Amino acid sequence: MQAKDHPAIRRYTRRIIPITSAYVGAITLAAALLPDDAPASALTIGLALLPGIAALGWLWAMGRLLIELDDEYLRMLEVRKFLVATGATLAITSVWGVLELFSPEVPKLAVFFVFPMWCIGLTLGQLVNRFAFGDQDSCQPSEDA
Amino acid sequence: MKNRLKVLRAERDWTQGDLADALEISRQSINAIETGKYDPSLPLAFRIADLFNLPIEAIFLRD
Repeated sequence: MQAKDHPAIRRYTRRIIPITSAYVGAITLAAALLPDDAPASALTIGLALLPGIAALGWLWAMGRLLIELDDEYLRMLEVRKFLVATGATLAITSVWGVLELFSPEVPKLAVFFVFPMWCIGLTLGQLVNRFAFGDQDSCQPSEDA
Repeated sequence: MKNRLKVLRAERDWTQGDLADALEISRQSINAIETGKYDPSLPLAFRIADLFNLPIEAIFLRD
C-alpha cells in the first residue's frame, strides 16, 4: 500500500478540500463585504467568524488524521510535520512579537497570519521529512527488490 | 538498530509491497525500517517476527 492510498489519508484529503475551499471562500466573502472601518455589528462579527470556523475544521481534520492513521511510521511523519510547523510559527511570532514590543516602527503582525503561517510550516515539515530524515515519499521510485 | 528484514524478505522472494501488504502497513514504512531510518514499535516488531516465524532478536540486532 502506498501512503497516499491509506484510508485515513484519503479521508483526510476528502475532508480538507471542502474545508480549504470554505476557508478561502469565507475570507474572500468577508473581504468583499466588510470595509476596513466596518462597525462591530452582529453581521460584521458573523462574517468575520466564518473563516475561523473553517480553520477549526482544519484542526479537527488534522486531529482525526492522527487518530485514524494506524500506520505508526506515517503517523510519526505527520506528527513531525506538525511539530516543525508549530516550532517555525512559534519562532517567527515570538521574535516578531519582541520586535513589535521594543521597536514601535516595526509593523504589527496581525494574528490572522498565524494560521496560514502554520500551514506553510507544514510544507516546511514535509521538506524536513524528505531531506533531513530521508523519507522516501510516494513520489519516489520504490526500492522494491 | 540494525535489522535483517531485507535479507529475510529476499530469501522469500517478497517485494517491499508484499511485506507491507502482509503486515497491513505502507511500503514506505517497510522501506524506512529496512534502511534503518525508523525503528518499529515493539508491537510492530512482534508482528514482523510472527510473520517470519522468528524471534525478534533474530531480525532486529543491537548496533
